Amino acid sequence: MDDSSCMVDVAKFFMEFCKSESCGKCVPCRVGTYQMYELLQRITEGNATAKELAALEELCDLVQNTSLCGLGQSAPNPVISTLRYFRDEYQAHIEGRKCPANVCQIGSAKEVVA
Amino acid sequence: MSPQVRVITLQLDGKEVSARGDQTILQVARENNMFIPTLCHLTGLSRLGACRLCLVEVKGSPRLQPACVTRVAENMEVTLNSERLSKYRRMILELLFSERNHVCAVCVSNGHCELQSLSQTLEMTHVHFHYRYPKLDLDSSHDRFLYDPNRCIVCTRCVRVCDEVEGAHTWDAMGRGVDLRVITDLNQPWGSSESCTGCGKCIHVCPTGALAEKGKSVTEMFKRRQFLPYLTLMREGRW
Repeated sequence: MDDSSCMVDVAKFFMEFCKSESCGKCVPCRVGTYQMYELLQRITEGNATAKELAALEELCDLVQNTSLCGLGQSAPNPVISTLRYFRDEYQAHIEGRKCPANVCQIGSAKEVVA
Repeated sequence: MSPQVRVITLQLDGKEVSARGDQTILQVARENNMFIPTLCHLTGLSRLGACRLCLVEVKGSPRLQPACVTRVAENMEVTLNSERLSKYRRMILELLFSERNHVCAVCVSNGHCELQSLSQTLEMTHVHFHYRYPKLDLDSSHDRFLYDPNRCIVCTRCVRVCDEVEGAHTWDAMGRGVDLRVITDLNQPWGSSESCTGCGKCIHVCPTGALAEKGKSVTEMFKRRQFLPYLTLMREGRW
């Protein structure tokens, strides 16, 4: 992993894993990981707003503190640590609509429809 | 209750209360008329601790504890309501609303729904997350009952009452994560189920309008739960 990796994309990769591994018993993990994945997806597509980043941070706090088992409790960790050390990359996606590592497809044909 | 269970004292929101040592925080709080929101819990069924609405702060514990499954202990100091807990509870309700298609205005249980009344009590005014809008098929194959997974919150009360009280085990859970659903038999139409006795207990323990009687229109589905405390006492030989 070096400067050619997009940290938002890395966080999304881990969240996709947690979302598909969640058993679904408790609500914060079942729906929280899904919602976090969707928000990360929106950020990597360049469709997210600053409000959605705030919602993502709130979800991190909720899922970490209220989940039933260790999977949910540790699911937000990749998002929390990438936000702590690479917040500028998140902001570049949201405010500048650019991916600094050129990994995320921002401004693709899909966005024109929206 | 066995005779050797000790009586202990603890603090709930700063109030000194006494309790039996084999009780849960939720039981003690309810005995003392103190409110803790719950969705998956129902007295008479096994405890699950899955909805996470009953989380409380226990002094000395780094994590929040679910009140419905946590036993009381001597000198325990429990906070039932705080700014942080209210925020978490509201967000959990928001997540439940965003998960399926909960449209109160057209729901049979409008006005008698636990999800709806809890949202009002906990002052959940907006859903800040994107709705998922899943496409889920309604099962109306049963003669008398209707299953609408769009209104289901997967509390599994129906699964537990069918297994533990009726003993039929028609209901079960299928799938994982956000795709988790309750199903009848091996995901066969309810009407073709051979294990279902048609007792209707699942209908009346369901907190929302996911399970309803046929022929009921908007707001008409009242849930009657009196049978559960009665059957619990019968089972324990205390009636």
